[in-house]
Amino acid sequence: MATSTVSTLSLGAAMLSGVTRAQNQLTQLTTEASSGQYADLGLQLGDQSGYELSLRNQTNLLQSLTTANSLTVTNLKTAQAALDSIRTTAESAVSTLTSLTAGSSGAASTLQDTGTNALQELISDTNTSSNGQYVFGGENSSVAPMADYFSSTASAAKTAIDAAFQSTFGFAPTSASAANISASQMQSFISGTFANLFSDASWTSNWSSASSANVTTQIAPGESATTSTNANQPGFQQLAEGYAMLAEFGGSSLSTETQQTVVTAASSLINQGVSSLTTTEATLGSAQTQVTDATTSMSNQLTILQTQIGNLDDVDANSVAVQLNSLQTQLETAYQLTAQLQKMSLAQYLPT
Amino acid sequence: MSLSTALNIINSAFVTNAAQSAVIANNISNASTTGYNREIANAVTNYSGGASVVSVTREANTALIEQVNASTSQAGYQQALSDGLTTLANTVSDSSSATSSSGVLAAGNSPSAMLANLQSALETYDASPSSTSAGQGVVTAAQGLASSLNTGAAAVYSVQERADSDMNSAVSTVNSLLTQFTSVNATIVSGTATGADISSAEDTRDSILTQLSQEIGISTVSNPDGSTSIYTDSGATLFQGGQASTLTFAPTATYAAGVSGNQVMVDGVAITGSSSPMAIQSGALAGYENLRDVVAPQYGAQLDQIADGLVSAFSESDQTGGTAATLPGLFTFAGATGVPPTSDATGLASEIEVNAAVDPSQGGDVNLLRDGGINGSDYVYNATGDASYTGRIEDMISVTTSTQSFSGAAGLGTSSSLSDYADASVSWLQSQNQQASNQLDYQNSVVSQATTALSNAAGVNLDTEMTNMLTIENSYTTTAKLLTTVNDMFTTLLDAV
Repeated sequence: MATSTVSTLSLGAAMLSGVTRAQNQLTQLTTEASSGQYADLGLQLGDQSGYELSLRNQTNLLQSLTTANSLTVTNLKTAQAALDSIRTTAESAVSTLTSLTAGSSGAASTLQDTGTNALQELISDTNTSSNGQYVFGGENSSVAPMADYFSSTASAAKTAIDAAFQSTFGFAPTSASAANISASQMQSFISGTFANLFSDASWTSNWSSASSANVTTQIAPGESATTSTNANQPGFQQLAEGYAMLAEFGGSSLSTETQQTVVTAASSLINQGVSSLTTTEATLGSAQTQVTDATTSMSNQLTILQTQIGNLDDVDANSVAVQLNSLQTQLETAYQLTAQLQKMSLAQYLPT
Repeated sequence: MSLSTALNIINSAFVTNAAQSAVIANNISNASTTGYNREIANAVTNYSGGASVVSVTREANTALIEQVNASTSQAGYQQALSDGLTTLANTVSDSSSATSSSGVLAAGNSPSAMLANLQSALETYDASPSSTSAGQGVVTAAQGLASSLNTGAAAVYSVQERADSDMNSAVSTVNSLLTQFTSVNATIVSGTATGADISSAEDTRDSILTQLSQEIGISTVSNPDGSTSIYTDSGATLFQGGQASTLTFAPTATYAAGVSGNQVMVDGVAITGSSSPMAIQSGALAGYENLRDVVAPQYGAQLDQIADGLVSAFSESDQTGGTAATLPGLFTFAGATGVPPTSDATGLASEIEVNAAVDPSQGGDVNLLRDGGINGSDYVYNATGDASYTGRIEDMISVTTSTQSFSGAAGLGTSSSLSDYADASVSWLQSQNQQASNQLDYQNSVVSQATTALSNAAGVNLDTEMTNMLTIENSYTTTAKLLTTVNDMFTTLLDAV
């Protein structure tokens, strides 16, 4: 016979365990309703925990890369602004040279001033820093890339130029004997001994402390980019060569023909320098685009990642609300039933 | 038949009523006692034609009791496992305080999250390699990772220590229950022989068996003399022929790398552990043993593999073109003389630390991270000392995501990247935790159902008792009426004489 009896103990306990379970669930659901996430994620996700964690870690990484990229972009922009300024100086120097008539009165001092000012500006622009780092230093960003040519103790570069002039012509550039230098002598000096002072080897020993290796930076997971340039680029050398020529020999008492030779050589060098710098600027521009593109793509990835994390972690607010409501109803029913059941005893109905 | 016979019968009816009332009173007063089995007063017709209570039997359902005990053992096993896993899982609970929808990340403390922090710090350092504060950020993140591994390893040892001490308490509980069982069982055997009321002794015995099955999986056999023999679920004898076996266990107070605990022995035979010929399958004791010897050590081995992977990934190699040994870099451990192989990583998670040579607070130089050379000038990567050299930093960024080999003994495969391995370890732990928790919920509900079924089958229903009480009351009233009537008849008879 399967008619089973119910013991008074289990009758009471049945409701009790139901109430306890409902109260536990109530606590859990309240937490979920307020946080919008599962109360115990690890328990909820189980073996997906690692996946969820990797999504979070990726988010973390992309966020720090994005921050780092904004720093890189700042450095690139600073470098480009400096290059712009160098180019402007060079262009204005060229226009001064073009409008100048060799041999006219005051031409010598104009040439010297133009060269000196332009060279000073070139040095100052090249030594631009961003966040305490010299932007044209390449990897060696902690040292100013270009030494001060006009320092009170003669710089290595100036000493070398003076010495070269002295040994070629037998007197200093400031000497009155400079008037005897023929155009062809000057031409061969400029393209020979003088040009050698701006060769790569001489440049790095006398002029530049920059490293020829450019800084590479991770701009996205697994993607590195060259994010700097350096003062050893040909543009800098050509400009410095042109300016130094003007600053040192422009003021000498040269013959008209020789002076014209210097002006022509300097103009040509400065123009070459400008064109080389344009290439450098283009390289920096494309690096900047690369960084910006990487940042944009990471921002898209972040959105996707956050959606995925949300899919795993977030509870459905509506279903939580519905569950809360039905739990409340269930608890109330349980309380009522408990009261009812307590009344449902034969003892209540027996005459006393 | 005489009137005096009628009086005798009336007398026996009063006695029977009193005995039945006593049983009902006993039942009612124990209506709320868990494990109480309803008693029944068996009345029979006696030689004079009246009724008398010859015995009191107890409602019992052996099948249901066995089911309650078996499920209690399973629940005890899962409870032990789940408690330990929860402790371990707390060390990796990253997400609980996070609000993902707003994109704010939790300050997680799992090795995996800490590794990600280190990667982020390296990326920041990569963008400004000349910045000492960015380098310091890498050192701080690395210390966080090392301390996360240290904490994890410490949690593994503490879980093992607690399981060991829980095993010790379980063993003494079992021994004390067996002693109680011995005396109750003796009472029942002698009561059965003499026909005494042994119901309450039997209740006690059932309750002891249920308590016993909480600690150790058991099976029982009832003998004709009323005694019960107890065996473990693996067949080892715990109680037989009036003699209880004694469980012996030598506790191990402190767990560290390579320490393994002792097993529980009965009569010189181990009943726990994988090498035991008759290892118990359920009960808290089996749960503690599994936690102590299988689950916790496996997680510990995974942490060791992560630590070993870190030491090897961040190590420095000879840059002079020579053949000097590869030596630990950012991550090292006490007494390191080289990079240990993956097969020899035991205890590394508790020993791993950030190299003092790069930690400014210990007199180190952060720039060694960027330049290399923690192990001397042969290991310098940035030969020219340039402030914006990123080659070494990018090496370190890539090693965390490039494939490495791991020891298969930790159960997470032999080849993956460090960050994947760390993620997999969290997954493994959380999935064990989830399984144990689900199993525990399930077993608890089985216990609850079996207990309810048992209580329904053998417990007291107040209404039934009340109804019986009414019947007895009516019977008493009628008997009293009968007594008055017989008395009247005697009076009439005596008056007539």
